[in-house]
Amino acid sequence: METGKLIQQLGKHKGTSNSSALRSNVGCISVTPEASSAFFTALKEDFAFDHCSLISAVDNQSGFELVYHFSIVGESGQMLEVHVDLPRDTPTIDSITHLWGGADWHEREAYDLMGIYFIGHPDLKRVLLPDGFAGHPLRKDYVYEIHEEEW
Amino acid sequence: MSRQQVRGNPRMRRGLGSRTSDPTTMMEDPPSGDWLTLRSDQFLKWVDDAVYNIAEQTGIRDVVNRVTRPIFNWALRYSPWPLHFGIMCCALEMGAAGGPDHDSERMGVVYRSSPRQCDILIVNGPVCEKLRPKLKTLYEQMADPKWVIAMGECAIGGGPYWDSYSVVAGADTFIPVDVYIPGCPVRPEALMHGFLTLQKKIREQEPGYFLRR
Repeated sequence: METGKLIQQLGKHKGTSNSSALRSNVGCISVTPEASSAFFTALKEDFAFDHCSLISAVDNQSGFELVYHFSIVGESGQMLEVHVDLPRDTPTIDSITHLWGGADWHEREAYDLMGIYFIGHPDLKRVLLPDGFAGHPLRKDYVYEIHEEEW
Repeated sequence: MSRQQVRGNPRMRRGLGSRTSDPTTMMEDPPSGDWLTLRSDQFLKWVDDAVYNIAEQTGIRDVVNRVTRPIFNWALRYSPWPLHFGIMCCALEMGAAGGPDHDSERMGVVYRSSPRQCDILIVNGPVCEKLRPKLKTLYEQMADPKWVIAMGECAIGGGPYWDSYSVVAGADTFIPVDVYIPGCPVRPEALMHGFLTLQKKIREQEPGYFLRR
């Protein structure tokens, strides 16, 4: 499917906005967290996006932003960027692990370092930092003061 | 049956004497001088002490050490087997030092994959909080005598990550380090020099091994 056509069809879904084509086979779209679950299900089942490349979390002071990258493994090489804005006080979103198994550790990493809670994740615990670590260090308001006294 | 009930059982108390206050610690050290109740480890320690004292007081230990020390020390110096353990980019330099250009094997440096067979632990990278207990376990699993080389800035003092939330500021905060090799990353020549420095250290400091205490 051509990118423009894909973007047009995806833009008809509930809760989507700002759909555009970034490059010849890369599309970009924003979704609200409430509509994300239905949108991702449609992405997997109707549009055959069979690979979740990465999930990255961004801290924009006012709130968090999740950036999903999906792709179709095949000749078309179609890619899609999905932006989801989350409020700062309740950074929660539905997990997509049941759709793409590879999203499991991406979500754990986003939880570990940025403190975003994925509802329905089978095993949401820290993946990089040791258990019992306090806080989420990649947040902008994270303060680490242990070395201050030594120097 | 709880522990309290056992303690309160009069038959138990009468049968085993006053030492059975707790069923889990029924085996106690025998009173001193009680030869018949020595446990096997106590017996071994007694034999060890006796042999050591005799060898020490008659001067035999010194004599044997004087003969065997150069031999053992030479063997020790030229077979320092490091653990094949890489953390970050210095591990590549470690590989380069073992390659044909620098060939650290000519000094007997053979990388082994099991800590039980190793003498040297090369810490070649930043140690993060999650790695620290594992690295400590590796160090403790190595058989004596053992040495530690801190290779590169990260292992010496945290390097560029000294202020990080998850990186330990230096390997010497949790294990004793013998040789520090500065560099970022350490060049293979510098690592070779570190091995030579360790050789010198072994030659100067290691005592004999006969009845070592």
